[in-house]
Parts: sequence; structure tokens; C-alpha cells
Amino acid sequence: MDKATCASAALLIALSSGFAGCTTVAPWERGNLAKPHMAVDPNPMQSLLRAHTYNTREAAASGGAAQGGGCGCY
Amino acid sequence: MAATRISNHSSRKFARKILSGLIAQLLSCAKDSLAARAAAQRVLPPRSALSALTLAALALPGLSPSPVCAAAEGDGIDFQYGRYREDRRQGVLGVVFDSETGLFSGKSKLTSPRPIEVDTLNGRARMTLSGRWKLGVNLTQDTWSGASPISTAPVVAGTNSPNVVSGASPLVRDGLKEFFIDEKLNFYRQGSRDDIGTLLPGVRDNQLTHTMSTASPEARKQLDFKLTHEWDDSAAYVGAGVSRENDFRSRFLNLGGRWDFNQKQTAVNAGLSYTRNRTSATLDPDAVSFIDTFGYEELFFDETDEFCCFRHRKRSGPGQIETTYEQNEFGDGTLTAAKIQGKREDVGLQLGLSQVLSKNSLVKFRLDYARNKGYMANPYKLVTRVGAAATLDQLQAGPAIASMDSILERRPEKREQVSWSLGYQHYFPRADAALHLDYQYTHDDWGIRAHALQAQWVQPLGRGWTVTPHARYYSQSSADFYHPYLFQLVVTDENGELIDHPWNQLRLPEHYSSDQRLSAFGALGAGITINKRFAKGISLEIGYERYKHAGDLKLSGGGEQSFADFSYYTLNAALRVDMEQIKPSSGSEASNDVFERHGDMHTNHADLAPAGVMFNHALAKSGDFMLGYRYMSSEQAGNVLQGSDAVSLDTVRLIACGNQECQVAPNKMTMNMHMLEFMYAWNNKLTLMVMPQWMDMQMNLTPLTEDTGSGHGHGGDVHNHQTGGLGDTGVHALFKLLDRPEHQVNVGLGLSAPTGDVGIELRKTATNPDPSGQRIHYGMQLGSGTWDFIPTLTYVGSAERFFWGAQLTGTKRLESRNKSGYRLGDHYQSSIWGGYKFTRRLAATMRGIYTRQGAIQGRYPASTEIDPNTGEPYVPQHVGPFDQPASYGGKFWDLGLGVSFTVPSGSFAGNALKFEWLQPLQDDFNGYQLERKGAWTLSWSTMF
Repeated sequence: MDKATCASAALLIALSSGFAGCTTVAPWERGNLAKPHMAVDPNPMQSLLRAHTYNTREAAASGGAAQGGGCGCY
Repeated sequence: MAATRISNHSSRKFARKILSGLIAQLLSCAKDSLAARAAAQRVLPPRSALSALTLAALALPGLSPSPVCAAAEGDGIDFQYGRYREDRRQGVLGVVFDSETGLFSGKSKLTSPRPIEVDTLNGRARMTLSGRWKLGVNLTQDTWSGASPISTAPVVAGTNSPNVVSGASPLVRDGLKEFFIDEKLNFYRQGSRDDIGTLLPGVRDNQLTHTMSTASPEARKQLDFKLTHEWDDSAAYVGAGVSRENDFRSRFLNLGGRWDFNQKQTAVNAGLSYTRNRTSATLDPDAVSFIDTFGYEELFFDETDEFCCFRHRKRSGPGQIETTYEQNEFGDGTLTAAKIQGKREDVGLQLGLSQVLSKNSLVKFRLDYARNKGYMANPYKLVTRVGAAATLDQLQAGPAIASMDSILERRPEKREQVSWSLGYQHYFPRADAALHLDYQYTHDDWGIRAHALQAQWVQPLGRGWTVTPHARYYSQSSADFYHPYLFQLVVTDENGELIDHPWNQLRLPEHYSSDQRLSAFGALGAGITINKRFAKGISLEIGYERYKHAGDLKLSGGGEQSFADFSYYTLNAALRVDMEQIKPSSGSEASNDVFERHGDMHTNHADLAPAGVMFNHALAKSGDFMLGYRYMSSEQAGNVLQGSDAVSLDTVRLIACGNQECQVAPNKMTMNMHMLEFMYAWNNKLTLMVMPQWMDMQMNLTPLTEDTGSGHGHGGDVHNHQTGGLGDTGVHALFKLLDRPEHQVNVGLGLSAPTGDVGIELRKTATNPDPSGQRIHYGMQLGSGTWDFIPTLTYVGSAERFFWGAQLTGTKRLESRNKSGYRLGDHYQSSIWGGYKFTRRLAATMRGIYTRQGAIQGRYPASTEIDPNTGEPYVPQHVGPFDQPASYGGKFWDLGLGVSFTVPSGSFAGNALKFEWLQPLQDDFNGYQLERKGAWTLSWSTMF
């Protein structure tokens, strides 16, 4: 990993601890955030399929490395 | 009376929730961190009265899932069918030769061969093992076929010809024609011949094209699992999986965790993964003689041997090649077989953060790092090498004669890739909709910089409907070693000495690839997804996406030329079953009744028939649903039988293929079917059923003659054929004729729609050159191709712990021919079974089965193309007994042994799991067929 990557990882961690300080939205105010359409991935099955397709057609792998997915040699 | 009590009870509960909510709010305002922590703890028992109240507040509808933690989905089962299909490529150009002079006379846009199609079947199950342990299992199967580019070349090199686009035979047949190149690297077509027969340059033409190659149908299967443990504010998981293809295997492990803090407004996750891949690719036997293995092995002069000669030695690098040459007198020779083996290891690291920004928005960051080491090339991709040798004088006088060949691509041994992702989600209360925006920037040490931007608008429409349009833009720069083609050009003076000239500075780089995935391009995608949630915890999803890849779409333009443009669509249909929601809706009045209910079913109406029996069970009462999944696998292997007797391979070769000699014989055939069953009780008497199915088949072949060839392009060691994809779809109605506690009689009327492909072709090869296409063996097509009528008559009975049944079923083809010119034989089966219930949950069955199936009627149409060697239409050469319509069907006797099990507890309680093994007792085949080894069926069903 190059320096920039390490630095950015550090930044992520710093950011997260920074956010920890600001409590703005109380648990009972999160009704909207908890709706199914605000789920991080509203259609996970479909996302899996599309990610696999993008992975076999584009050079930038989307998502983590160890998801399997095969050769995609076609 | 009961209803009033419930409503009183719930209104009191509601008031209490409101009250406790208010108290909790006060507490939080005072920044009492203890209470806030307790607020987040909604699973553990409360530690104090205050935290109990806060807990109650969280029980308000919609508040419970923590929004930022990618809340673990509840127990359930999902199925998805996905389809990927490319449009025919528009940029495939071929050359036309004048038949009299044999010279290049023009170029033509080719009808590109049948493009790549991929069928994907995906099943997932998520279950709670105990308390906080959860297991997810994921099964994926891809099957694909069609043509994809194997290399890029100047059109003038003539790699594609209008009448032959096949395996790699474009190169084989019409490549290597001479063309011209000038000092500035422009290409020229062939012109004419002068008086003494010397070829002259023609028009300048720098256009490029892809060389297309068709692969045989292939399949991939992946199985993976993930085990998760959840705590109040965190979770950890470990997962592993394996993915297998004939030529590629991947095994992976991953682990990671998630931590929520800041009252669950912030979540951090981290993951680590490790993958081992192994490539073992046999190169297309038809194409190897035209492929240069330069890059994987080099030629050297063996001075240690006085009679010899040039020999090959391996070059160091990530992939290793094994080659066989037909030696000539110099030791060098023609490459007849080549296999590339390579290993690769990937390590991946992920860090993620999500943060609630306001009550309507949240933001996500993610960093992905991947390091790959080992063989990363695509074994089937080639790079065109343009070669020419001229003296300076010749070159200055005009374009010089050039030629081309193809070399295997060679990629670096290492790759490091870093991706940055930023996501933002916003909820719009007025529209009750959510906007999801995602951007990802990726860069790696291959020189690729990529941007991906995606927007989704998730719009619920009421009554459980949700519509989600989305758009995506992607752009990447090319890898440093991407070259559409390479040069190896030599300029000398009159004495043959190299001179100082730009041509001589063109060196072959260390790494090179013409894979268009490594080129500079942009892509636009857009699509829509429609979801429908049904009351009973079932949701359906249908999605469609169009995607266009083009050099011009690259950010700031300047991508690869338009010859490489292509487009595709993906279509997916998914069914999701939430096991936790299913149950309350079927027994909300008395959830403790689940056992009773199923107990009752088991005495009266339960489906206790063996796993392999279908259409036997009508649902008990109006409005009932049943969802089932059945997996059937059968194997044939060993001897080829004529009737019931084994015959030798020589016999097969001489007499099993009609008036031809058989070139191959089967030595193993496996057939797998996935079936989904949706049943709905229209009323107490009538049950309707829809049953889509997916097939995949593999046949291993023994060559019977020497010139059969040893592989099919993307194959492994074994000479085999694979097919797979969507099969036929059944629609059935089941009527109860007799419905007594101990005896039931059902009649079923079914129709099978020809949704399975019956036009699958063998890949064109040197032994199989018919340009109009040779269809694959009848038994490996995915459906019948005809509308079929499927009647059944079933009787079941029970007394105490014993149960029994009998069934007659048949398949009558309703058309005389399918679109491929044949129809399968009618099918008839009778079976009789008995069983014993050891406990309320466990039963065993034994079944006797007799099956009769007719031979195939009609046959594939004869070729429409004339074989230049015979002057007659092409006759399929690559044939075995399975290409004879008469060698299908027969009479069969089997013994079935089965067990059935009902899940006792958990969210899968009441689900039925069954297994049955079918042991062949006797075969009496029509014609010549491979001995049956057995079959098994696994079924799962749930009723609600």
C-alpha cells in the first residue's frame, strides 16, 4: 500500500472518531432513515448481479476482492 | 370479543410507548450517556426501568433497525434469475476477396456471430442458528455461450471473413494475407498484381476491427457461506467460498466486523479477504497452430546436440505453458496443443464508515485496497503482431509488404488497486422517496484511473409497490500495456544491416494486452427496478438495465476507436421470502399453534410423498400458498448400452451413428435441474401451480478416432460439452377428486411452455466447420421446444404411522416439430410408494418406478451450406450416438429410497426438507445410450 492510501485510511478513522462527538439525531428520530428505501442497498440481489457484470466488463473492480465471481473470461 | 380485547391492549401499549419515548428524549437531552447506550441496546434485557422505557420507545414501528449498520437481514430465502445479453457487435468488419484473383477486393460489415449471453441463477438462505449466530449460504450458477473478441487487428489483415466467423478459424482461414505498411505505420489494402505477378499496395485503410471467437457453452458454479455473530453494538463475520469452472477455480476466505457507536449514528466496518485462483486453460486446438507462444516460451538453438536444432524453453513469468509441437526437420514445428497454467493470490482490505447526518440523510465512505499477485492474463486473449522487413530504399519508394500473427497476451505479475467510494442517501419526506448517490474513484499501478457515478431514486408507490430508476456513468483510462496491436518491423540497408530508423526503435514491450477491458472507454447505463411486497413476507423484484460501452464516452473523449463499441442489457427477476414475516401472518391469532397446525397437516393433508414425486399435492384450503424448490441431478456413466447390453467402443464407432462413423462416444453425462414451485389454492378443491426451471448439463466424451481433436476452446483437460440456462416453464392445475382423512385422489392437468432453448449450437471448429451451424446433441438442449401436455393422477393414503401412494403421469407433445425440426418422445411414468413416520418430523419412503419414453421424432435440418471439399451440403462430422434421434428414450425401472424431515423450530419451523435417491434397476434403451448411474432429488417447501 502506498503512502497516500495509508494516509487516507488514517483519515477515515480520524473522521469516524470526529463524527462520534456530534450526536444530532436521536434514535427515535430515525424513522425515515429506517425505511426500506433508505437501506444501504435497497436491492441487494440485483446489486450482486450488476456488480458481477461490471466486474467482467470494466477494469475497476467494484467491491471487495474476495467475493468469488470466477474468471469472467467471456 | 377477541378483537376488542386486542385493540384495547394495543392502544394501551401505544400510549405507553409514546410516554416512554418522551422520557427517553428528555434523558438524551441531558446527554446521559448511560441511557443513550441502553437505547441502542434493543436486544438485551433491560437493566433498569429507564432503559426499559427507552427500549419501548424503540419498539415504535420503523425505529428499530439501526440505519447505518447495514442491518442484518432477517431469516429468509431468496431466488434470483438474471440474464445478460450483448447486442450483436456493429464494428466487426471482414474482408472480401475477389474469387478470381484471390485479392482483397473490399471490406464488409459482418453479421457478428451470436453474442455473449449469460444466464445466472442465484439462491440465498439466511438463518439464525441460535440466538446471535447467523448463517448465510449463497449458491450461484452462471452458464454462458456466444462470441467475444479475442484480438484486435487492422481490417486489412483479414482476420474476419464474411462467410466464416467461428472458433478462431477466421485467423485460420483468411488471416495471414499480405497487406502493406508505410514508414508512418499506415496500413494499405492489397491492390493488384503487376506484369510479373508482384503484389502492389492499394488504398490506405487504417480501420481496426475485433476478431471474434465463439466459445462453447460453459458453466460456473459458486458456493459460499458467511457466519455472523452479532453483539449489541457490533458484529463479526467469517466467510468462505469456492467458484469452479472447467478452466478456472477460485477459493476465498474473508472476515471482518462492524462497530456501531455514537448511539448508532456512526458505524465503522473493516474486512479482510484472501483469494487463491488457479487457471488451467487448454487453448483452442483449431487456433493453436496460428498462435505464437512468444511471451511464455522462447526458441533457442540447442548447441549441446550436434544433430539438432531449435528447441523451446519456458520463459519466467506468472503463467506457465505446456506445448506439443509436430516436429519438423529443424526441431521447430507446428504447435498442436497448448495449455496455460497459472496461479494467482489476491488480498483485499476494506474500511468503511457510515454516518447519520440528519434525520433524513446519511453518508458513507469506503476504501478498498486489493493486491493481486500471479497469473492475471486472460488465456484466450491474443495480441496482433504486425511484422514487416524492408530495406530503406524499398520503404521510401512506397509501402512495404506486411503480415500479421497473434501472440498470447502477457500481463504484469502484480497489481495494486485502490478504490475510494463516497455515498450519500437522502430521504425526501414529501415524496416519501430516497435518493442514493454513489461515486467511486479507482486507481491502480497498471495506469488505470476509473470513475463511476451512480444515482438511484427509490420511490414507493403504495400497496407495496416501489419503483427505482437508476443511471450510471463509468469512465476509465487505459492500462499502460494496452495496445490494440503491436509492431515488429525491421529496416535494413542494402547489405542487410540494421540502420537507424524509427521502425527499428519499435520494441515489443514486456507486457501487452488488447483486452478491451483494459482500454480507455466510457460507459453509460440506465435502468429501472420494480418491487412488489406482498403481505405475507414475499416480495418480487424485476430489474432491467441497458448499458453502452464506447470509446467516445470516456471522460474528455479520446478512448479507443468505435470498432470496440458494444451494448448489453441485464434483466433480473428475484423472489424474496422473509421467513420471519411469513409465520405471523399465517398464525397471528395463535403463533403457538404452528406446531399444531403442521401436526394437523401431517395427519391429514401433508405432502409426505417422496422428493421425486411432483404434482401430487393440492393445498388444503382456499388462499393457502406454497413455495417450493427442487433440485434434481442425474448421472449416466460407464458403458454404452444397446438395449440392456454393453457394447464395445469399436461397435459404437462402426454402427451407432447410422451410415457414418461415430467420432466420439459419451463416457459421462450429468444433468441438473433447479425447479421453483409456486402453488396457490384457488379454492378448497383447486390448486394452481407455476413452475419455472433451469437446466445445466455436461457430457464428457471419449474420442473414437484420431482426428477428433482434444478440446473445445475454453475446455479443461477433458473433452466435454456443457450447456445450461432457463428450461421449460410449467403451469399446472390440481383438482381434488377425493378428499378424505385417510385417502385422497388428485388429478393434475399441466401445460409446459417451450421457454428452454432448443437451438444451442456446437462451436465451429476445424472438425465441425459448417458455417450454418451444427446443433448440439438433442439431449443437451434446454427444453423440449414444443408445448407439452402433462396429466397426472395421484392417490395417497395413510393410517397411523404408515402412508402410501401411487401416481400415473405422462407428457404428451402437442406439436409435431419444434423450431429445430424435431420433437422429443412422449413420456409415461408410473410409481408406487410406501412410507413410515418414525416421529412427527422424520419419515422414510421406498418407491418403485417404471418409466417409458419414446425416441425423438424428426431431426435437425440438413446444412444449407455447401462443403467445398465434397460439393455437397455439410454433414456433421463431430458425431456420436447422441446425435441419432433413435438413440433416445427407452424403458426404465428404478427403486427410490427417501427421507423427509420437518424443521422443528426457529424461523424455518414447519419447512419440509426431503431427499430421494433413485437407484436404476434396469435399462432398456432405444438405440445406443450411456448406462444410467442414478439420480437424486432434494426438495424444500414452505407453506403459508
